[in-house]
Amino acid sequence: MTKHHHATDETLMRYAAGTLAAGPAIVVAAHLSHCPACRARVSAFQALGGAVLEELEPTVLSPNALADVLSRIDAEDPQPTPPAKVETPVEIDGVRLPDSLRGCDIGRWKWIGPGMHMSRIGIPHDPDANVIMLKVGPGRALPDHGHAGTEFTYLVAGSYTDRFGRFKAGDIAEMDEDVEHQPIVDADEECICLAALEGKMRFNGFIGRMLQPIFGI
Amino acid sequence: MHEASHQFAIRKVAAPRPANARLGLVTLGEGMQIPAAEELAEFVAAVASRRDREAFAALFRHFGPRLKTFFMRGGMSPGLAEDLVQETMLSVWRKASYFDPARAGVATWIFTIARNLRIDHLRRQRNPADLPHEPVETLPSLEDVLLDAERDLRVRNALSGLSPEQQTIIRLSYYSEKSQAEIAGELGIPLGTVKSRARLAMNRLRALLEDRP
Repeated sequence: MTKHHHATDETLMRYAAGTLAAGPAIVVAAHLSHCPACRARVSAFQALGGAVLEELEPTVLSPNALADVLSRIDAEDPQPTPPAKVETPVEIDGVRLPDSLRGCDIGRWKWIGPGMHMSRIGIPHDPDANVIMLKVGPGRALPDHGHAGTEFTYLVAGSYTDRFGRFKAGDIAEMDEDVEHQPIVDADEECICLAALEGKMRFNGFIGRMLQPIFGI
Repeated sequence: MHEASHQFAIRKVAAPRPANARLGLVTLGEGMQIPAAEELAEFVAAVASRRDREAFAALFRHFGPRLKTFFMRGGMSPGLAEDLVQETMLSVWRKASYFDPARAGVATWIFTIARNLRIDHLRRQRNPADLPHEPVETLPSLEDVLLDAERDLRVRNALSGLSPEQQTIIRLSYYSEKSQAEIAGELGIPLGTVKSRARLAMNRLRALLEDRP
């Protein structure tokens, strides 16, 4: 059995704290839905959040704060149980995508090179987020690239191999800013990955430089 | 990454100290002392089963002022922080029946409510048209992990076992979206120092993450 690739503790802590930016949080949430081990770590970091809250020194509230809340409670109707929402699965061309993309704008696949397509993901609550999906054919190399910030990549389907190992569907890869890597998609099937960048991506080489303006990121 | 933690795993959980010793002898306005973790859980149960306003008021007096500090540390004005305290405590009232003491302590439960409300607030700030919603539920199921008040206590002890510098780095990552570079600027120390402190703190905290079944 090959090993699974997990999120780092730093990232899981920021996710639990709610201080991870929206784009990376979507990628991490996609991984969490597949990874009980990382979910357990998130819950431990939530407990750490409880400890942080418990140990904060109190700040005096306005004198009528409690009365205000109690009168809001009085004014409330008894809460009817909201009807269970029927959630349609998120898809692109019939491929099921992570639930964490629900509510996002999923761009159409656009040809960006031989055997390579890209879809831009729009996050309504964070218009500046850099989130894309890449679909790369079997055996093909992703553009050689480095990053201006950490890159979070979740494998939706297929697998690739780079100098850090083999990454399969459900895995997450975190690449620091100083890391350059060139993933090569494994030969058996195409690979779809969801990537969020904390900063801009920079491409190396001829193809990469051609792609830069197309990616617009 | 799962080695090197057995030492912690086999160490006996310290018997709970009396609540006052554990939490510090802070007295509230009315001269009332801080309730113990079990007592807090009973308050939530009373709100859930009998809509008990006295119990709710006790929770409010304990957590409200801490929540206000929490939101202000994240950069919010006192007024805005107080609005979010109200929203958080309203959620506590509404969702009390969902609280499960077998899964988490009250502080952890209220922290996650506050975390979600802060995320919703920041989202609306960036895009006013964005509707408030429940973030995707990624809490572990019961099969994954049992989080209980005892574990909360262990986590709290682990946090207070860190050096003050390490604690500061960890706490700051809970308050706001600041990057390590921004934290370095704020503390007036080099980025490398922030990174190494964070790494050391994480190595020490890792022990508390290794006790899943």
